[in-house]
Amino acid sequence: MELIEIKNKKWSDDEFYKVRKEILATWETGKEVDLDEGIAYQKSLPAHKVFSNKLNKAKKDGVTLVQPRAGVGLIENHIELLKHLQDEGGADLLPSTIDSYTRQNQYENCAEGIRREKEGMANGNFHPFLNGFPAVNHGVHGCRQVVEALDTPLQVRHGTPDARLLTEITYAGGFTSYEGGGISYNIPYAKNIPIEQTMKDWQYVDRLTGIYEEAGVAINREPYGPLTGTLVPPCISHSVAIIEALAAAEQGVKNITVGYGQLGNQIQDVAAIRTLEELTEEYLHKFGYNDVNVTTVFHQWMGGFPADEAQAFGVISWGAACAALSKATKVIVKTPHEAAGVPTKEANAQGLRCTKQLTNMLVDQVVLGSRVEHEKEIIKAETRCIIDKCIALGHGDIILGAIAGINAGVIDIPFGPAKCNAGIMLPTRDNDGAVRILEMGNLPFTDDLKKFHKEKLEERAKAENREVSFQMVIDDVYAISKGRLVGRPKY
Amino acid sequence: MEKKKLILGVIGADCHAVGNTILNRAFLDAGFDVTNLGVLVPQDDFIKAAVEVGADAIVVSSLYGQGEIDCTGMREKCDEAGLKNILLYAGGNLVVGKVPVEEIVRRYKALGFDRAFGPGTDPQVTIKCLKEDLGVE
Repeated sequence: MELIEIKNKKWSDDEFYKVRKEILATWETGKEVDLDEGIAYQKSLPAHKVFSNKLNKAKKDGVTLVQPRAGVGLIENHIELLKHLQDEGGADLLPSTIDSYTRQNQYENCAEGIRREKEGMANGNFHPFLNGFPAVNHGVHGCRQVVEALDTPLQVRHGTPDARLLTEITYAGGFTSYEGGGISYNIPYAKNIPIEQTMKDWQYVDRLTGIYEEAGVAINREPYGPLTGTLVPPCISHSVAIIEALAAAEQGVKNITVGYGQLGNQIQDVAAIRTLEELTEEYLHKFGYNDVNVTTVFHQWMGGFPADEAQAFGVISWGAACAALSKATKVIVKTPHEAAGVPTKEANAQGLRCTKQLTNMLVDQVVLGSRVEHEKEIIKAETRCIIDKCIALGHGDIILGAIAGINAGVIDIPFGPAKCNAGIMLPTRDNDGAVRILEMGNLPFTDDLKKFHKEKLEERAKAENREVSFQMVIDDVYAISKGRLVGRPKY
Repeated sequence: MEKKKLILGVIGADCHAVGNTILNRAFLDAGFDVTNLGVLVPQDDFIKAAVEVGADAIVVSSLYGQGEIDCTGMREKCDEAGLKNILLYAGGNLVVGKVPVEEIVRRYKALGFDRAFGPGTDPQVTIKCLKEDLGVE
């Protein structure tokens, strides 16, 4: 295998433009991209279509914006869907969720999906084959059709380990926000890609973002917070978010939204969003990045959902409430069709309206008190253990430290399919439903923190009259879809 | 009696890993010999693995909706590889959108699958069908 050289240092122009030439040649639409023309197009967008403007204002005003996930295969259908979410759902921010073939750079398969869908449209027997918007196949001009048809800022949401061509096309196409990162789009979304490779490919994405910023175009970057969406403890997702924020800032990114996936215990969820913002700012300042706008995103429950739509609205509402109470800058919304897969536009708009009802009702309320403060202290102590260990392993270089940390299991993501992930650490819920750690693996926690987790889980075991075990993990994975938060032995 | 051999995996560009981990455990506990290929498995890899171990059934998971394209031509390829009449199952969120399970089954039977299962199917249901179709017990 070729040795991948990497360190956390801003790329030189020579390095960037050499790689860029190769990237633009990997699919035919790459030749539509002209950097200067793309920058000029971005500058021509009205201020209300720029993602960072809306986020910064929301942070200042203390409100929580609502954003759906949504994407379909054909441009006309995609525009119809997003218009519905904008006009009928009241979305403050819009996405374009990218299909799963594009995420694996399988553009020929996208072409087949587009062909079948177009054939269906022509014959009057349409059914969808793609689970998202294939932006690379549609190219710069296809993206601009979408941007121009809407009055709301647009973000690319995906799960693409090598997203360099997608970034080039969507930035030139007028998207003003972009999700992903070298860890958060490797470990949950890949199987055999070395972590060094994705860290390097995401430096390219961040450097391109930096080039747009230097030309006066603000593009928001969002590390993917929920990771595998399955009982990920806050300290793990916080550590990944902080590392990706630092890596992005080094390449010139100025607008970063760090994220977290709802776990279900109100105290833990509020404490998690507050600490995520505080710790990200703390570490950015520590490394000398003093001009980065940091905002937060709260993802409603990312695990299995109940099939019953009334029950699903219950889960959505609780996520909306905790997002608002935590003062997250935005919330990513689920739908009543979640258990079945990709939702209709009507179901998607229902999730948005349900969420907005809660964020509006709770905008003036705050959750404070000693329990939140205590939980914040725990999350901060845990996260500092992980980040400071990575900094030490990298001798001050956060990317080298993150790679060494992942290899050593200092960062360990539960249920991550990637081979580079240690996969030893196991989380489960305590008696209050907060996520704690059952098997530490190689997490570099202090003895006090280890003792805290052990005691919390023993408390649950005692209440349930069983031993702390892997069965608890399985019970917790399925609990919400079966109507509960904690997977108790007898329902 | 010798254990029946299953090939298990998540097909195509799909990386949903949690259900795969749990199915693997459930099939092993039910007494099957499981070759688990994990996530992001190309169609050809299922077939190669099935030929290699002499599998009795291929159990395909798909959670992301794009399974219809991924599973197209799989039965024909099994036939070409000499896996005549091998049992083919698919399960998960097999199509894009909320579609009645009868329609999902119809589409997958048309692709040559013996059985198809909708979202949230309990592993015990699949195990019961496997035992019935493979003549176990």
